[in-house]
Amino acid sequence: MTNTKQRNKHVSISINRRRWLKFKGLKRGYYSFITIVAVYGISFLLPVLINSKALVVQYKGEYYFPAILDLIPGASSYYPGTKFGQNVPGEANYRNLKKEWESGTDNWLVMPFYPYNPYEDITTEGNKMYEAPSRNHWLGTDNTGRDVFARLFYAFNISISFALILTLINYLLGITIGGAMGYFGGKFDLLTQRVIEIWSSLPMLFVIIIMSSILRPSFFLLIFIYTMVNWIFLTYYMRAEFYREKAKDYVSAAISMGQRSHIIIFRHILPNSLVPVITYFPFSVVGGIAMLVGLDYLGFGLPPPTPSWGQMLAVGLENITKWWMVFSPISAQFLTLMGIVFIGEGIREAFDPKVYSRLR
Amino acid sequence: MIPTFLGSTILVFTILQLAPGGPLEQTMIQLQMGGMTGGGEAGGGSSSLLGGSVLPESALKELKRFYGFDKPIYQRYLIWLGIWPREIKHRDFTIPSGKAQVEKRVGKRDGQIWRVDVSMDEKGELSVFDKDGSPSPVWQATIDETHEDGTREAVIFQQEYSGILTGNLGKSYTYAKPVTEVMKPRFRISLFFGLIGYFLSYIVCIPLGIRKALKHGSSFDFISSVIVFVAYSIPGWALGGVLLVLFGGGSFWDIFPLGGFHAPMEIWEEMSFIEKVINQAHHAVLPVIAWSITSFATLTVLMKNSLLENLSQDYIRTAFAKGLSEKRVVWIHAMRNSIIPIASGIGYIIAVVISGSYFIERVFNIDGFGRMAYQAILDRDYPITLGFLVVVVLIRLAANIISDLALATADPRIRFK
Repeated sequence: MTNTKQRNKHVSISINRRRWLKFKGLKRGYYSFITIVAVYGISFLLPVLINSKALVVQYKGEYYFPAILDLIPGASSYYPGTKFGQNVPGEANYRNLKKEWESGTDNWLVMPFYPYNPYEDITTEGNKMYEAPSRNHWLGTDNTGRDVFARLFYAFNISISFALILTLINYLLGITIGGAMGYFGGKFDLLTQRVIEIWSSLPMLFVIIIMSSILRPSFFLLIFIYTMVNWIFLTYYMRAEFYREKAKDYVSAAISMGQRSHIIIFRHILPNSLVPVITYFPFSVVGGIAMLVGLDYLGFGLPPPTPSWGQMLAVGLENITKWWMVFSPISAQFLTLMGIVFIGEGIREAFDPKVYSRLR
Repeated sequence: MIPTFLGSTILVFTILQLAPGGPLEQTMIQLQMGGMTGGGEAGGGSSSLLGGSVLPESALKELKRFYGFDKPIYQRYLIWLGIWPREIKHRDFTIPSGKAQVEKRVGKRDGQIWRVDVSMDEKGELSVFDKDGSPSPVWQATIDETHEDGTREAVIFQQEYSGILTGNLGKSYTYAKPVTEVMKPRFRISLFFGLIGYFLSYIVCIPLGIRKALKHGSSFDFISSVIVFVAYSIPGWALGGVLLVLFGGGSFWDIFPLGGFHAPMEIWEEMSFIEKVINQAHHAVLPVIAWSITSFATLTVLMKNSLLENLSQDYIRTAFAKGLSEKRVVWIHAMRNSIIPIASGIGYIIAVVISGSYFIERVFNIDGFGRMAYQAILDRDYPITLGFLVVVVLIRLAANIISDLALATADPRIRFK
């Protein structure tokens, strides 16, 4: 043991590896990172985990895979009830089928882990609206009899995807424009700065609400609206950073060697000014999720019936006797955001070369 | 500053005016549906009008004039600003074919019916004369439309310069009152919560941040860090919702009222002063908590990190080396430098307090400033929407100045030339 330790001392490790090792050492952030990434990864498999469709159906010697087909975009997983000898209008009800086939038939089916779907209205099965949490519905049902637990998880996937895409686009725009402003300076800088000044004097949320009240947003339109008002915050930093870096010798050297502008910007300057941007990323994602929940709560977010925490909260806060409608989305949002904040804190510490000394 | 103000108002003005489903269309739809009222649903009303309108031409013209849509957009903006004449007190009249002069009643003056003469010259320009033959100082007239048989539809009106620059924010469509009158009581309510929440968060966060910095790494630091993380991860309005469910008497404890600024008016009027104060405070507890939580986390962490960073500086070591007491080093030497970032954040937090109010006011059913703006967007009440924008932009600009001043006070190195 001591041997390897000693050898390690002499091996110099790259700065990114050192940061990663330091991040791994910060347990709170590291485990949050693993949890969030794992849950987000699994949440792409939700159609086979939380779904009202069966995973496998064996009917009269033939196999069907409705839930698995849900995973494949574009594939139709619709089987009418009559196909399996069920006397229902429209799509087959697999939960009932399972009960019917329990005895005396060769047919069988396997339901997903949690056999309810976030969109289906289950009032037809004798369930009521606003059913309190029970063994069947772990977190109760909502105002139209949809299962809260199922919606919660689908909303998780949508929220994180939304915030990630949003933040990436914001970063791309902010870094490019801010960098270009700092690098090229002159008229371009002046003009863009005026535009940014005007944009930033507007109350963002207000503008988003106005735009979504006019445009009726879908997932990507909402991202577009949000990006339009939010790319600004990175430009301040990037602009200043590029101004500072451009004056340094290595940039002059690159310019005198005849390097192209975009190579200088992306290969030479950008890596030197990226650290604070990276450390801010998780907090940006937190902001994106919080904003989506807020907009959904106000009714200006994703169109119904998209599962969303904000919409569930709006329903819950209108009937505060239905406590599960308030607590479930808030806890889900809270746990998710807290996890990401922990990650952010870990990353920040891992990237921070400073060591705070205690008093004296 | 002024270009910024103009730029931002032009932007929002244009978006609002060009948007489909504006007040004009909404009123028309409402009229066509036979007076079926009911506030527009969220995001609704983007439907274009179907086919031919049922409204008569004159009513449509009247409506357009009422909402100011009879002018091109740049004129509308200038009118709104108050540097283009606004036409008021419209009265329609017809000039029969072949006649060049008509008499028109234009209301009352000094208790008597006021009549003016309108005459038309060869070019079709109208001029208005008082009864004594002198040109009228207040009335003007233009021809709206000429029919085939030679009769002309004309309109007589007064002009006035009134807009943002003269302090006139216009008249709300939904409340039928001047916008300033609608805003005033609501702004006061939001200010009440905003200021209390604001001071509360400063009073709590600064000592907490200092203590956390001094005890960095202790269990106190750890536990308070957890609270800070919780506060950061949950938006203030969502926490307000949780508090409401817990203490609002729905499913758990019935300690605080469900919402509202104070008790309903009928009860409120009969209360004595002390009862009023208690009632107000009772209603304010939960919203104020929700309000102050928004800035709680950032402020505490900012204070802590700033003090920590200063404590690891060389000048602190020097101060200790000189033999100064710990108290003096922390409170006199380190504090003066650590408070600088807090001071520069003052203006920013004001802006946050204002923008946070949309949600909190909706959760607690408080008829405040943010909710007014939210409702105005839903109802397409443009004067209020734009008035809100003006107020917020002005507050933000003021907040920037306050920030600068606070920074200059806290940091003697900064001087304004």
